Amino acid sequence: MDIERSAGDANAERMRRVQPARKRFPIRKTSLAMHPFRNTACRFRSTPTCALLGITILTFASPATAHMGTGLSGGFAYGFRHPFTGLDHLLAMVSVGLWGAFLGPPLIYVLPVVFPIAMVAGAVLGMLSAPLPPVEIGIALSVLMLGACIAFALKAPIWAASLVVGLFALFHGYAHGRELPSAADPFGYSAGFVFATGLLHVLGIGIGVLNARPSGRVATRGLGGFIAAFGIWFLYRAVGT
Amino acid sequence: MRSAFVAALMLCAATGLALAVAPRSARIPGLVALALASTGAVFAPVPSGWTDAVFLGCWIGVAANAATVHLRRGLRARWAVALSLNAGAWAGAVVALAGSRFELLEALPCTLALLATASIAGRRLPITLKVVSSWLIAVALLAAILPFVSVTPGYLPDHLE
Repeated sequence: MDIERSAGDANAERMRRVQPARKRFPIRKTSLAMHPFRNTACRFRSTPTCALLGITILTFASPATAHMGTGLSGGFAYGFRHPFTGLDHLLAMVSVGLWGAFLGPPLIYVLPVVFPIAMVAGAVLGMLSAPLPPVEIGIALSVLMLGACIAFALKAPIWAASLVVGLFALFHGYAHGRELPSAADPFGYSAGFVFATGLLHVLGIGIGVLNARPSGRVATRGLGGFIAAFGIWFLYRAVGT
Repeated sequence: MRSAFVAALMLCAATGLALAVAPRSARIPGLVALALASTGAVFAPVPSGWTDAVFLGCWIGVAANAATVHLRRGLRARWAVALSLNAGAWAGAVVALAGSRFELLEALPCTLALLATASIAGRRLPITLKVVSSWLIAVALLAAILPFVSVTPGYLPDHLE
């Protein structure tokens, strides 16, 4: 009992010492501890910045390891992860959104619509093992060409841009279709990579928001050049093998 | 994988998207039509031999409903209700054939959720509706084609390896 009482007294003494300090430095009602999201949002007020931040976090977030896929190896989670793990797919898909943002309406939404549909056609061709020119070279060319289109701010007509993007999407889809494991859940895997592709397009469009500013335009064109340089590297590797 | 729940869920999502671009007067009749048609179909005696056809009808319904987002003049009220009725019939039938009836109860709220989200998103960022509709169309086309692709090429190494 004495020990308990002495511990209680010590606590009371400590509280008495802390109390004046709290009076001198009162906790504000809008502290970070009470409103974490409100305070964070204050730093990123604009909607595009918030959207970009959210997409970036989503892009680089590692997947939860519980309940992956649909019970079979090569399910939704595997398909979703595939475009993010291959730099060639990732750069090409971001480029599609970015180029669409450069070209403005209606191509800003036509290209992200054409790409997944053509990619599905390519995936089916891949599953059927239909003959297609070397896929690696096609994918490398897609990165190179799309990067160059952004770097040179190429203004293409709707039909030409759709045709180019659709053709390259066939190669990307073919690669996904060929890599589809036979024991996998084909629907889950395919839905995963289509969904991831759409997210990457949105990321590209989000980066394209920078075009509204002159310095941002230079930055996005620079990014296009960077992507094209990667395309040259991929092409070198594809031709070398 | 051929999950009746996924098919019904995607059909409900596509219907929500279609109703979001339809006139406001069509939204409640559309939702009622969807609920009534799906409830009717889930209790209807659908022959088990029709499974493949019902799945195909489901995927065509998903693609058709999602494609309405791209209509320049928007979706007319009558068409919106007709598409909802059609979607309800396929969703109910697919759940009746290959799932449990409770799965329909889980799929139907998706329409309401997507309708609300798409209505809000469509005002500020209409591009999101078009991107989401393209995902739905792509996945539905793939799901419709997959049963006809009998052989997958096997576990090949990644093309970068």
